[in-house]
Amino acid sequence: MLRLVLVTWWLQLKIRSRSAFDGLLGLLWPLFFATTVFLMYRASGAEGSALLSAAVGASVMGIWSATSTTASFTLQQERRQGTLELLVAAPTPFPLLIFPVTLSMATVGAYSMVATLLWGRFVFGIEIAVANPVAFVLSTLVTVVGIGMLGFLLAISTVRYRSAWAIGAALEIPVWLICGFLIPLDLLPAWVRPIAWLLAPTWGMSAIRDAAEGRGVLVDLLACLALAIAYGLLGMLVSRYMLNSARRRATLALS
Amino acid sequence: MPRMIAAADERVGGTRVAVIEVKDLTRTFRSSKGLFRRKAREVEAVRGIDFSVERGELFGLLGPNGAGKTTTIKMLITLLLPTTGRASVLGYDVVAQPREVRRRVGYVFGGDRGLYDRLSGLDNLRYFAELYAVPPREQRTRIHELLELVGLTGREKERVEGYSRGMRQRLHIARGLLHRPEVLFLDEPSIGIDPVGARELRATVKALVEHGTTVLLTTHYMFEADELCDRIAVIAGGEIVSSGTPDDLKQRVSSGPVVEVEVYGVLGGVVDRVQALVGVRSVVVEERGQAQVLLVHVEPGAEVTQSVMSCLEDARVGRVVTREPTLEDAYIELVGTP
Amino acid sequence: MSSLRIFLIGGLTSYRALFTWLTPWILIPSFILGPIFQILFFAYVGRTAGVGSDSFFLIGNAVLYASIPCLFAMGNTIGGERQQGTLPLLLASPAHRIPLFLGRALPVIVNGFGVSAVALVVGALLLQVPLPPASLAPLALVVAVATFSCTGLGLVTAALALRVRETAVLANVVFGILMIFAGVNVPLDTLPSWMGSIAAWLPLTHGIAAAREVAAGASLSSIRTGLFVEAGLGALYIGIGLAMLAWFEREARRRATLETI
Repeated sequence: MLRLVLVTWWLQLKIRSRSAFDGLLGLLWPLFFATTVFLMYRASGAEGSALLSAAVGASVMGIWSATSTTASFTLQQERRQGTLELLVAAPTPFPLLIFPVTLSMATVGAYSMVATLLWGRFVFGIEIAVANPVAFVLSTLVTVVGIGMLGFLLAISTVRYRSAWAIGAALEIPVWLICGFLIPLDLLPAWVRPIAWLLAPTWGMSAIRDAAEGRGVLVDLLACLALAIAYGLLGMLVSRYMLNSARRRATLALS
Repeated sequence: MPRMIAAADERVGGTRVAVIEVKDLTRTFRSSKGLFRRKAREVEAVRGIDFSVERGELFGLLGPNGAGKTTTIKMLITLLLPTTGRASVLGYDVVAQPREVRRRVGYVFGGDRGLYDRLSGLDNLRYFAELYAVPPREQRTRIHELLELVGLTGREKERVEGYSRGMRQRLHIARGLLHRPEVLFLDEPSIGIDPVGARELRATVKALVEHGTTVLLTTHYMFEADELCDRIAVIAGGEIVSSGTPDDLKQRVSSGPVVEVEVYGVLGGVVDRVQALVGVRSVVVEERGQAQVLLVHVEPGAEVTQSVMSCLEDARVGRVVTREPTLEDAYIELVGTP
Repeated sequence: MSSLRIFLIGGLTSYRALFTWLTPWILIPSFILGPIFQILFFAYVGRTAGVGSDSFFLIGNAVLYASIPCLFAMGNTIGGERQQGTLPLLLASPAHRIPLFLGRALPVIVNGFGVSAVALVVGALLLQVPLPPASLAPLALVVAVATFSCTGLGLVTAALALRVRETAVLANVVFGILMIFAGVNVPLDTLPSWMGSIAAWLPLTHGIAAAREVAAGASLSSIRTGLFVEAGLGALYIGIGLAMLAWFEREARRRATLETI
């Protein structure tokens, strides 16, 4: 089973990287926003830890971007390609096939994260000093998994809706807004916080930041993983319902 | 036309091995139009069909577009749930045990879609090999074996987006065979393929059947069904209108010759007059370019050419040919002129 | 007179035909929620970094979003015509090309204006940014001019997209460039001078600056120059875009590639 996930993830990564939209733009788009943020911070004369915190936060934006825009679109794409029915007709459970797809998107996002950090270092001269590199990398991996899982839930839930890509695209900035990437949660209205706590990226981001600044990451990572598992289970239920409904009512171009 | 229940019960060495069993299968589609006044429209794509396929058989489902062939196949490979009725593949019910079915069947459809364009042919096969749980150790040899079988060796590292339609079709077949399915479903596999490619395809299918794979093929090409299939069921309007071996069908419809009369402009009433002649079984008019052709199915032993010609006195007549009935004649008669 | 007819009719039919997929499910997330979230995002980042004001980010991003329909609609219109195979017919038609293409621009301008206006109003309410009632009419004018100017850029992008095959990527990249250079979220005087020079030649730069002044209470006459420059830039880009289209078309005819581009 692990082998299936890995092979599928790897081949999907190949597919993403060969498309200008998924690959190139996946790298560039968050970079535009990160640059804007860097310029803003430079204009404010910020230095040191505040700047580093912003740089790290801006870099993680890319992981979410790469996932949210593509996840809500990918199953429609498979449908148009004629491969969706082949995936459903396979003996392997459908959710197990889709998770590696969204995971590959989050991986492209991880490349974007590295690119943003390098950009910050070489173009804006931001000192990227990570206090705990091992924890940093680990937190990044867990965040990628968490976001991949959230993307999986998104993909499965929107599989029937042809215009779901618009919703996925519209979800890009809200997550940046409330998951603590650049804006501390206590600056947001109180009612937003519970929503943020239910989103894996919030905990992943917190862990990454803690690792960069030398604090403990365990609680955050556990929360992120727990949420990822919850998304996975929810996604499996939704998937079973969707597929049964599709087989019964001949939606999804399975007919 | 009364529904004909498939009677093929060839007993092989005393035991009958039915690999696909379909009983009273129906499938209705509901579509609703309009945003505010949702009018539901029900379309009965498959209206109660029965047939069975034996192990090692090449079974053909022959019918015009929209007859329900694809719908039937999709029900058998568990992509669609039947509205009523039952179907089982290799003893597993398609509704209750879909995973068991999926593990043992292969599905190949014609056309350009169904492959990952941005991956190479090899990567596509690797991907599907994983999906279909081909044991990792076996994957490499199996993939190369199949590439050889379909004649794509040497082109497998290229991206599929550069493949021709024929190459895609061949890759499709390789994909369908990765997990050594016991039953292979081929949905209109030679659509859009050039004649040479189609011939190779048919040869490959025949070889597969010789090696023990059971194949269910849907097609609207009569000669293909005639050439390949051990047994055929003719499906039209969601119902099986006839089934049996190709020879059976040719016999059943008409065992007498067919008189083909080329006419320029068939006047009204002529067809009825010819139909009414003694010895004429049926008359069908076919358009062939500038002219129309009267296909007169004659009772065996009857001599009607003179009487037919006298009915056509007023019209301009071209060639007149008398020939043996083909499957095409049977098909047209069973299905009705398109 | 016939030019005007081509202008109006050609524009509307083409727009409607290519936007039949524009359902509320796409319209609301892309044109209403998108800009509002971006406004909120930058406003809060500004608060965190201690730079700018809510009003600054509100106006910058609201006007920026006028460019989305301009970039994507123009790209889609031309790209769509190419995909449907109607582009050669379009370019080959004897109808005067300028009203033809401008006709396609009119619905886009209206669209862009609408997006900005809604974003401004809703954003102002959410962030509690006071917009003096006297400034509303001048603001509307500024936004309209800025949108017009963006259409020109949209046309250039669309022409470029005929050559490069990736329309969406190009449009997104241009949007990103505008966001960075046009003083949307960063005051122009804090940018290095080379960036400022580029910004001066981009649409939206002058429009956004003018809009901010108007919101702060400036009169229409004081921002007159900025408006003229903005409008002038728009006309310039339209000219460049049409010239590019004509050039590509001539080249394509020479190499018979219009069908395959």
